[in-house]
Amino acid sequence: MSLLSLTVSAATFTAALDRSTVAIGESAVLSLTFEGGQPKSSPSLPNIPNLQITGQGTSQSYSFDNGVSSSTVTHTYALTPLQPGDYTIPTLGAIVDGKTLTTRPLHLKATAPLPPPTDLGEAAAQPAFMRLVLPKKEGCVGEPLVATLELYFQNGVQNYANFQITSLPTDGFNMGAKVQGQNRRAQVGNAICTVVPFSIVLTPVKTGPLSLGPVTASVVVVQPARNWQEQMFGGAQTQVAMAARAETIQIISPPRENAPANFNGAVGSYTLTVTAGPTNVAVGDPITVRVQISGSGALDSLALPEQPAWHDFKMYPPTSKVETADPLGIQGVKTFEQLIVPQSTDIRELPPISFSYFDTDKKTYRTLTQPAIRLTVRPGGANVVPTIAASNRAQENPPPAQDIVSIKQRTGKLEPLSKPLLEQPWFLTLQSVPALAFLGSVVWRKRTDSMANNPRLRRQRKVAQVLRHGLNDLRKFAAEKNSDAFFATLFRLLQEQIGECLDVPASAITEAVIEEHLKPRGVPVPMLTELHELFQLNNLARYTPIKSSQELAAMIPKVEAVLGELQKIRV
Amino acid sequence: MLNVKCSPFRILAILALCIFCLASARAAGDVSQSFDAANRLYEQGKFADAASAYENLIQSGSVSPALYFNLGNARFKASQVGRAIAAYRQAEKFSPRDPDIRANLQFTRNQVQGPTLPPGRWERWLANLTLNEWTALTATAIWSCLLALALQQIRPALKSSLKNVAVGSGVTAVVLGIFLAADWSITAQPTAIVTAHDAALRSGPLEEAQSVIPLHDGAELPVLDTKDNWLQLGIGQRVGWLKREQVRQLP
Repeated sequence: MSLLSLTVSAATFTAALDRSTVAIGESAVLSLTFEGGQPKSSPSLPNIPNLQITGQGTSQSYSFDNGVSSSTVTHTYALTPLQPGDYTIPTLGAIVDGKTLTTRPLHLKATAPLPPPTDLGEAAAQPAFMRLVLPKKEGCVGEPLVATLELYFQNGVQNYANFQITSLPTDGFNMGAKVQGQNRRAQVGNAICTVVPFSIVLTPVKTGPLSLGPVTASVVVVQPARNWQEQMFGGAQTQVAMAARAETIQIISPPRENAPANFNGAVGSYTLTVTAGPTNVAVGDPITVRVQISGSGALDSLALPEQPAWHDFKMYPPTSKVETADPLGIQGVKTFEQLIVPQSTDIRELPPISFSYFDTDKKTYRTLTQPAIRLTVRPGGANVVPTIAASNRAQENPPPAQDIVSIKQRTGKLEPLSKPLLEQPWFLTLQSVPALAFLGSVVWRKRTDSMANNPRLRRQRKVAQVLRHGLNDLRKFAAEKNSDAFFATLFRLLQEQIGECLDVPASAITEAVIEEHLKPRGVPVPMLTELHELFQLNNLARYTPIKSSQELAAMIPKVEAVLGELQKIRV
Repeated sequence: MLNVKCSPFRILAILALCIFCLASARAAGDVSQSFDAANRLYEQGKFADAASAYENLIQSGSVSPALYFNLGNARFKASQVGRAIAAYRQAEKFSPRDPDIRANLQFTRNQVQGPTLPPGRWERWLANLTLNEWTALTATAIWSCLLALALQQIRPALKSSLKNVAVGSGVTAVVLGIFLAADWSITAQPTAIVTAHDAALRSGPLEEAQSVIPLHDGAELPVLDTKDNWLQLGIGQRVGWLKREQVRQLP
């Protein structure tokens, strides 16, 4: 059994233009894309009067993403209009894996070439200059307008870089996509210039005369090198500041007279498609109505109009998505999906759906209406398999959720509203425990290693411990009047301490050591005298062991003082 | 015979514990009754009243994912998409892997029209665990690493066997720490959820300022700045100001 399962998605066929408007002499690129399958034969484009169609080739790509493999075949064509006007690329069909797939119709507008600038003044003497061109002098609120910013480069300019718009006042407009167009050549005065056009989508949001610009920008141009230093950098680089004059456009709002009742502000040029499914349902079962509005205009702001005739249905807020067919985003299709729930068995059909918009070309309102869709509504509780009357695509995708999951009947575990652990002082303090444990273990390890490598230090600590215990024993023996044990302990303590000082075994220490080792090594004389006295007292006690508790106790401070002094001596 | 000495202090402590347990049980019982009452309002179709009842419960101080979830449902049914999303997001913070919460949040987000910036794939992946769960995992890895290092110091004989534990937990701690930092920064980033049915981002924090983008109920946008009663919100390259009263701000 293969561990890796490959999923191949259903085939699709789409058509897209790289721009929706071209000037005569320019070409638009039409891409026909097959995804998830290949057609039996290359798609053929119909003859369109005054539109020259040239095949540019086919490209193929294969991708594998998250277990889903997909192949894409793209046929590209250059469309060159020969006359100004509106051209429609009709619905195209192709057979892929036995299924007939179709594209949406596309619109291409061809305009007369823009006249070359004539009144540029001193700007024309620069290696680069620019101008702002508006497509028309009057527009409508909500209508996307494609302004063109044209960069002109004089004949000597070899290349350009770092084009930056430093100021583009667009009060009263919402600015959309900015797309660079095809370069062309144009004559300006006696010179031939290279023109680089940038298309900018602007949607007016208020009425009246609106001003666009003045635009200021800068660009670095590369001209032929005049010396070897410039040659090293590929030519003479000069930064050029450019300015384009402001343009004014009169913006009107759609007229109030003759406005359809369901007009909700849509402006442009559209078509309407409606599907619904399932059409055989029980009362309370949801029906998905898919409304597709395709065409050109401000697709993002399109809203589904109110449908007062749907009063017999319970309605949920619609969802929507936009698929654009051009880089400027003003041509494409917006799809609304609306869930409606029939409330009675008297319903026989989904009432007609209508959508109104203001056609800016014809300056008139248009209302698109789709006919009613027949429905069969059964009483609730019947168990009949519903029939789906939507497109094939609906069957390919999993059905969307039709309502929210109902409420929970139990509160579950109640918790007080509190800050996250990361902001709780006790938690942050607790985190210091392992760090301190680690640091403590490191210190302990270093100390243990240091002791292991230093026997003198080890003995010093051991002797200090023996002295502490020994002094306690002395006090105890003094209280018990145990003279023998007292002096035996005293002698042992002296041996231990002096042995540690001289770094010799404790058993080798006798009174003679004082003269032989301590005196030559500069131990102070009073200390030596004290030591002599203690040794002699010790010897004397062997013969006259009995001493009173007070006498024995009185010796302890003296012993402590001598041992303390000896600890300070390093011989 | 068992001889247990009961000091007065011990008796007082046991009494206090009993009183605390009884009070907690009673409070939980009260919340449960109020919750059931709110659910009944919901079942009767009184969604706005049910939402108010759930809100009152939340304001009492004790919360649960189910409470926020039901509040989200009531808000959604009352056609308050933005407030519903805010409630579901709160529920998701407590119980991020609850399929019901996820389904309703997704369903509600699908109803939102116009521009919105719901969490991306990376943010959704991080949201599989709560911030406290990320914190606990990271702390566990740090503790394991440091205690293994400490044990290596105390028992050098175990050094080789503990080395893998220390390195493994150290690497895990670093990775988890990165996820925790990312999740914390996302959680701390204020988000505004539009609750007004029709709103518009304005070019400045003024009533007279020009409208930049229309927004609809439920749009989720990051808060970039605040000024007086206005919030600066951003979507993509576009930035604008919206009145605070038109949004629900999280956290």
